[in-house]
Order: sequence, then C-alpha cells, then structure tokens
Amino acid sequence: MSFLRSAQFNLAIALVSLSLLAIGCSVSAGNDPYFGRTAPPQNHTLHYVTGSEVESLDPQVGTGQPDTRIYMALFEGLVEYGPKTTLPIPGVAEKWDLNKDSSEFVFHLRHDARWSNGDPITADDFVYSFRRGFSPAQASRAAYLGYYIKYAEAYNEGAVFVRDPKPNAQGEYTYVLEKDVKPEATGIEAATERAPEGEDASLDTPFHHFMHAPSRLVLPGDEKDRAEEINKDPKLKAAVAGKEFVPVKAEDIGVEPIDPYTLRVTLTQPAPFFIKLMAHQFFRVVPKKAIEQYKDTWTQPGHIICSGPFVLKEWKPYNRVVVERNPYYWDKTEYWKQSPTGEKIEQIIYYPLQDNSTIMNLYKSGEIDAFLNHTVPKAWLDVIIPKRDYMDAPENAIDYYDFNCKKPPMTDARVRKAFNLAVDKEAYAKWRKIVKPASTFVPAGIFPSYPTPQAELFNPQKSRQLLAEAGYADAHGNYDPKKFPVNDVELTYNPDGSNGEIAEWVQAQWKQNLQLTIPLKALEFRTFLTARPKGEFKGIARDGWVGDYMDPFTYLGLFASGAGDNGTQWTDPKFDKMLDDANRIPDPQERYNALAKAEAYLLDQQPFLLLSIPKVNWMKKPYVKDMFPNPGTLHAWKFVYIETDQSRWDQGTPDMTGEELGLADWQKEQTASAR
Amino acid sequence: MLRFIIRRLIVIVPMVLIVVTLTWGLIRLAPGNFYTGEKRIPKAIEKNIREKYGLNRPWYVQYGKMMGSVLRGDFGMSLTYPGQSVNQILWSTLPVSATLGLLAYILALAVGVTTGTIAALKQNSKWDYASMAFAMLGISIPNFVLGPLLVLLFSLTLFWLPPALWGGGSPANLILPVLTLSAIYMAFIARLTRSGMLEVLRSDYVRTARAKGLSEVQVVFRHVLRGGIMPVVSFSGPALAFLIAGTVVVERVFALPGLGNYFINANFARDEPLIIGIVAFISIAVLIFNLLVDIGYAYIDPRIRY
Repeated sequence: MSFLRSAQFNLAIALVSLSLLAIGCSVSAGNDPYFGRTAPPQNHTLHYVTGSEVESLDPQVGTGQPDTRIYMALFEGLVEYGPKTTLPIPGVAEKWDLNKDSSEFVFHLRHDARWSNGDPITADDFVYSFRRGFSPAQASRAAYLGYYIKYAEAYNEGAVFVRDPKPNAQGEYTYVLEKDVKPEATGIEAATERAPEGEDASLDTPFHHFMHAPSRLVLPGDEKDRAEEINKDPKLKAAVAGKEFVPVKAEDIGVEPIDPYTLRVTLTQPAPFFIKLMAHQFFRVVPKKAIEQYKDTWTQPGHIICSGPFVLKEWKPYNRVVVERNPYYWDKTEYWKQSPTGEKIEQIIYYPLQDNSTIMNLYKSGEIDAFLNHTVPKAWLDVIIPKRDYMDAPENAIDYYDFNCKKPPMTDARVRKAFNLAVDKEAYAKWRKIVKPASTFVPAGIFPSYPTPQAELFNPQKSRQLLAEAGYADAHGNYDPKKFPVNDVELTYNPDGSNGEIAEWVQAQWKQNLQLTIPLKALEFRTFLTARPKGEFKGIARDGWVGDYMDPFTYLGLFASGAGDNGTQWTDPKFDKMLDDANRIPDPQERYNALAKAEAYLLDQQPFLLLSIPKVNWMKKPYVKDMFPNPGTLHAWKFVYIETDQSRWDQGTPDMTGEELGLADWQKEQTASAR
Repeated sequence: MLRFIIRRLIVIVPMVLIVVTLTWGLIRLAPGNFYTGEKRIPKAIEKNIREKYGLNRPWYVQYGKMMGSVLRGDFGMSLTYPGQSVNQILWSTLPVSATLGLLAYILALAVGVTTGTIAALKQNSKWDYASMAFAMLGISIPNFVLGPLLVLLFSLTLFWLPPALWGGGSPANLILPVLTLSAIYMAFIARLTRSGMLEVLRSDYVRTARAKGLSEVQVVFRHVLRGGIMPVVSFSGPALAFLIAGTVVVERVFALPGLGNYFINANFARDEPLIIGIVAFISIAVLIFNLLVDIGYAYIDPRIRY
C-alpha cells in the first residue's frame, strides 16, 4: 500500500479537507442582514413550504396545520383567522350577533360572496357544509369541535331520539325529554330552556322553537349499547317502555337558514369562544354541486369549486399545489392590495417538504420565499436568529409533562409541585433557544387582555422542602432522597424530534436538585399515544397541546371532566364549575378574569410539569409583506404581497401590535371601546 | 429456457401473496391506527371511522378483502390520503423513482465497470490504489452526508444547480440526486468488477486465450470481462429493484415526489392499503429483476444453461 503512505495521497487528503473547510466557512461567515439570496420574485408568484404532504384538499377531512394553510387559500368560512392575532375577522359573514348568554349566534352573510364558478354563497351552503361535516358517513376527525352545536354530537354519533309511536291529533310526535329521566341534569341543558327573544319576528321560526324547547333524550344508536344503558337505569327503562327510537337526523342539528343571507347557529351551552372556532377548516363552506357530482374526486383540479380568495390550478402529490386568484372573490379592497411599487401575487405554489435542512437550503438559494413554523434546525440557530428575516414570536401551544395523578406517588400535589419547581425553566429556554419558559398553562402573551396568573418558575429549595413535607424525610424532618420510591416513577416519551434530549435534560435537573435519578422510557409514537390518555404510564409522560382556537378555554377545557385528552387523569368538579361559570359571563374581559381565576386554581393543583411555550421559528424574505408570525402560523393569503421597493422591506419580525387587518368597522368600534 | 422462465413467473404469485400476508400481519401487530394522532378523538368519531373503513369487521373478512384487492391489482383508496387511490399513487411516483434509479444505475455501471476494469488490469499500480481509495470513500460516505455536501458546494456556494425539488424532472434538478444515489453503487460495482476480473485473469481459459495469440483487447473484452462481470450481474438484480422502488433518503434530501416518501410515511401512518400496495410492488420488482439476472447469466456465461 505504498500509495496510501505516499506524499501525493497526503496531499490529496489535505486538499479535500481544505476545500470542505472553505465551504464550511463560506456558509457560517457572512454579515448579510438576511439569510441567503434576497431578490423578489419577478413572476407574481409566492413560493411557500407548508410542511408535510396535504392529507386531502377537502377541508372537512384534513386536520393538520399544513392542510389548514392551503384551505385558507381555497375555502372561506363565516370568519377568517386575522393575520396578526389569529382572532376572527369577517369572512363570508360580514357581521354576527350573539344572544345574552352566548349560546346562539346569528350570522349575516355578505351578498357579494361567490363561488369560483360565479354562484352566490348562501346560508344554505353553510347548512349543507355543517350537516356534511357531522354526518357519520363523512367520519370527519374534527367533528368534535362542533359538538357545541345543538344535537350535532347526537347526529355525529348516530344516536336516537325516543318518541311515542303514534302522533297526536295535530300530527305531532311526543318525545321523551332529557329532564324526564335525568332531573339531576340541570346546569348546561336547563339554561338553554327559554323562550326565543321576540325582538325580530322573522327570526321566530318553528325550528327555533324546537331548538329552545326542552332537550330531547338522546340514546346510543347501537342496539347493544342502548340496551345496556337502559337496563342500568330502571327509571330510564320505564320512560322508554313502549316507545319508538328514531335516529337523529341531519335536519335536527342547530343550524338554520333564516333567509339566503342569514344563518342561525344554536348551541348546547354558553360558548362565547365559539366564534373563534368558526375559522377552523371544519366549518369552512364546501361546494355541494362539485361534491355531489364527483364524489371522492371532487377535490381534483377541474372538479373543485372554491370559496376562498384563490382557486386550485394544479395538485401533484409530494410535489406541489398551485393556486391562482379567484376572479369571483368578494374582497376588492384589501384583496390584491399593493404598495405603489408592490408586486401583487397572482399565484402561490405550496411545496410539501418535510426535511428541514432541505427547506433551509431552498430558502438560502432563493427558491422559496417563506416556510412553515418549527423549521430552523438547532444547529443553524446561532447563525439564523440574528438575521432580520427570522421570525421570533410565541405560539398558540404549550409543552409540558403529565403527572399521572391516579398513581402514587404523583397522587400527592406536593410531590407534583416539587418535581415542577425542581426544573429550571429559564435555563431550559436558554438551552433550547426556540422556546419561552412557561410558568402557566395558558401560554402567556398570546391572548392580549388575559390576566395571566402569577406562578413560580423554579425553586429547588422549596421543592426539597415540599418532598420532605410529603413524607420523604429523615428523622430530623430533612428531605431524604433515599426515601423516595424512584422505582414507581419513570419519564415516558416518544423519541421523535428533540424529545429524547429534552427528557435527558430534565432528568439531569431532578438529579441535580432532588438527588433523584428518574428512569427514562422511550415508546414508539403511536404506542405512546395509545398509552398516554389511558394513564398507562408510571409517574410522568411527555405531552403538549396546540390550541384548537384562540381562547384560553382551549387549554383550560382540557382538564374539564370528560374532556378525553387528559393524560394527567386529574379532574375536579370545583374546576369544572369555575369554567362553566366563566363561560356564562357576557363581558369578554370579565370572562377572561374568571378564567384566569380557574387557571390559578389549576396551577395550585399542578397536574403537569410546565416546560415552555414554543416560538414560531420560521423565516420569510423581507420583501414578503403583511405575512405575520401569528400564534397559529396561519396566513390569510389575501393580505400577503411582494414589495419590490427595498426601502419598505421588513427589518426584523414585523410589528404585530397595531390594528388587525381586515376588521369590519363595527369590530373596530368594539375594540376601540374595549380600550 | 422458456420452461424455466414460465416456471419462475408462476412462482411469483405465491411468493408475493406470502410477503403480503406477512406484511398484513405485521401491520396488525403494530400498535396504533392510521387515525391515531397527537390529539385524541372522541369514541363516537373513532367508531364512525372504523365503520367507514370496515375496521370493525372480523379479521378474516378484512384479510379476504385485502387479498382480493391484491389479486385484482387494485389496492383501493389510501387511508391517510383520502381521495388518492393507491394505484394512482404508484403510477404517479413510479416515473420519478424509476428515472432517478435507472439513471443512477447506468452512471454507476459506466463508471464502476470502467474503473474496476482499469484497477484489475493495472493491479497494484497508482491507478489501482486511487480508484480503490475512491471506491472506499464511496462506500463509507453515506448518501445523507454526500447529498448535503454536494448541495453545499454546487447550490449554496457556486449557485450552479437547484438544491432540491423535482421541477418536472429537468436535467438541472436531476444531476445532484443522481450523483448522490449512484455513488455507493459505483463504488460497489468498481470493487466487484475488480475482484471478479482478477480472479478470471488468473484462470486457465484466459491463459489459453493468450496462448492462442489473441490480442490483449480481445482477451479482455471477449473473455475476461464476460467472466469478471458476473458478480456485478448478480448484484444488479436486487440493487435495481430497490433503486426503482424508491430511495427514501435521497428523496427526502432533494424533496423528490418518489415512491420512497410515500412508503416511509405510509408505515408511520399505518396506512394499510398503501403499505400493501407498495410492498406488493416492490416484491414483484425484486422477483422479476432476479429472474432477469438469471437469464442474464445464461446469456453472458456460456457454462450456464437452464
């Protein structure tokens, strides 16, 4: 092997390593204010990476955030996510009214809203869309979001009403009512039993009377389940004897077209936050005509009819989705807005990419103009964070660990508090770089007027003292780590992304501050997701929540009894009542105050270990304007434009404190009076 | 020969069915479902989904349905991509993976066989050491390192080529992924060719050929290469099948719409029809390419007859 030892070989090695080093330096060096090539596109096209491949272009099928961003181009709902705050701005509805206890909404649709084939969008289209979404055959995964709508849950579950087999003289059937069998079911249901307000005669319809009549009894549609439920309760058995079971129909759910441009939605409970849900893709209007004609393939280009500011031009899975302007879209003022030199966007190309380094490469070489959240890889952050095109803002999400409150030793709130206080969240956030430390469960800083409760971030002294009080102490009452049943606790997580590193980091904190070595246990993603909600883990499990809508209730509601997605297994009737009371308060600010009190109570119970609020962590070229790092990373595309005048480019994270874009005049007045 | 081919073709059917059955069983053993997500869904919605996709029927009914679809060659609708049929996915991704795989393999063959031959003929020379050193590099640098390195050099420093995306399969978009993909095959083929050739060079029939007075060119091309390339031929069958069936890493790094992306995501998502469809496709490809290799043997090596 003379060559391997020869001078030439050494020289070759040296040359190769030198050239690699040179490349490396050229990447990390650079005092450019922006990252990579920064030249506005010339062809009126925005190139955007939206994340993994879209599940479906049917907004009632796809549930992922990458899908949502494409739906926001193609389909509009009653309201749209505001570009700065993600709070609702008018969509097809130009105005809406609420009744006194926030359990009924009347939407006034704009008369100039049109489908991309020119047909008007009417209240009937929304009724069709809602009924389709809840139909069991559609099997939509997001349907639960709309269970606040009266009888929507019953219809979605395929449940039945119970009635007398024969109608009375007027041809009306008598139904068994919920209060007949469950007098204890007061609370929510009873509150809606009131006469309709007679302010506007045209609003007083037979359907409205049905909605506000006492709730009908709902039983499972499945015969076996129903028999089981009936046999358990003798009173129920007597009430349904000799009666007939009729399936809950699509026409029974609480959505009613009063006229072509007025839609009424009746809820089962006071839910002032319901309007914030209405921007969700599940509630966007879908085209009856195309769906009935093309069935499963209605979303293909050529078949699809859109309601949003853009229409579908091309869809190549794992390659790209191309949308172009919808000529029939109603908004002619904000829409296609441009600065004197601004470049309007004629089309958007969405790329479904999953590899973060690939996305960064494309961004650097100028092939794409912006990309989705959580994308800048950790190794790049030191170079990227100082750049002016890096987006830095908190998200509508929280990272935390569940304590299994049903299994000792985590049944003791003092132990839970101790484990929480023994982790230094400031240091954690510094280490992770792309998170903010969290001391509360509702992410601080994304709900402008929500009075976030005070809570301690880190106190190792106190945590040891708490454990001593919980009985893990020596004869002198001092904390003794040897007494703690380490074998009854492990930290379970799914080893995706940084979860493993994070678990090790937190484990080190406990070791340092509590002298406890808590074992780690990694479980494959889907295995983990099956075990966690059932509480099948010892002590502690990784968890996280992304808000379904922009209201603290999407966080606090997780711990309400029967919420289902609660890995901690902690529930408390007192907490349930606090939430319910808060939701009955009509004044938004007072409601927020009441919710904050409920949160303070929850924090005192500490069913979770709080880690951090993720930051959005994405980039956009400075010439892409009116695209904001909002808490949901959901962009109302009609506002986005390209600025060719370099002096108007964004010089950092754009200011999001000013007035929201696209608000109606009546909303502006409201927000002004609130201030 | 014809009987041999027919016999092998008939064997493909039960082989594929066995592979598919095993795969189906494994999917069933894996915990979780295609609809399991980070957010838990209510029981009623789960029931609606199970109803819609027939998951609440007994296992033998589901198995029968799956087998029926495999035998018909229509794998049904994907579960994670409603609105896209598995066949549609196979047909749209195959051209991408096949273009990439075939180009990479042709490049690998051309470069690999040439360098291997030169290395064998000039054994223990600088040529030999240099080419084998590069082959060693090719084998030891994984493609998830090589790909980004090439991107760094050609896309982000020199700005010559796009760093990723399919772009309708234009040559500029193809160069880097093809290079990345072919490197390891190039290296393998070079080493296989070299060792195969070296063995043949020492054999009696080559000495005979030389004794007959054939020119060196004739010796190399008519006798040595034919014998020396046999290991490369055996290697080609499975290699080609897997190249065409998609190459996950390269597709991810260069964001290409090939079969590999679907396969990996289908597995994570427990998308049964899609997994079954792709597995069936890959196993058929492997079996057919192996058959082609066996036919190739008989054609190249006069000693082999079926």
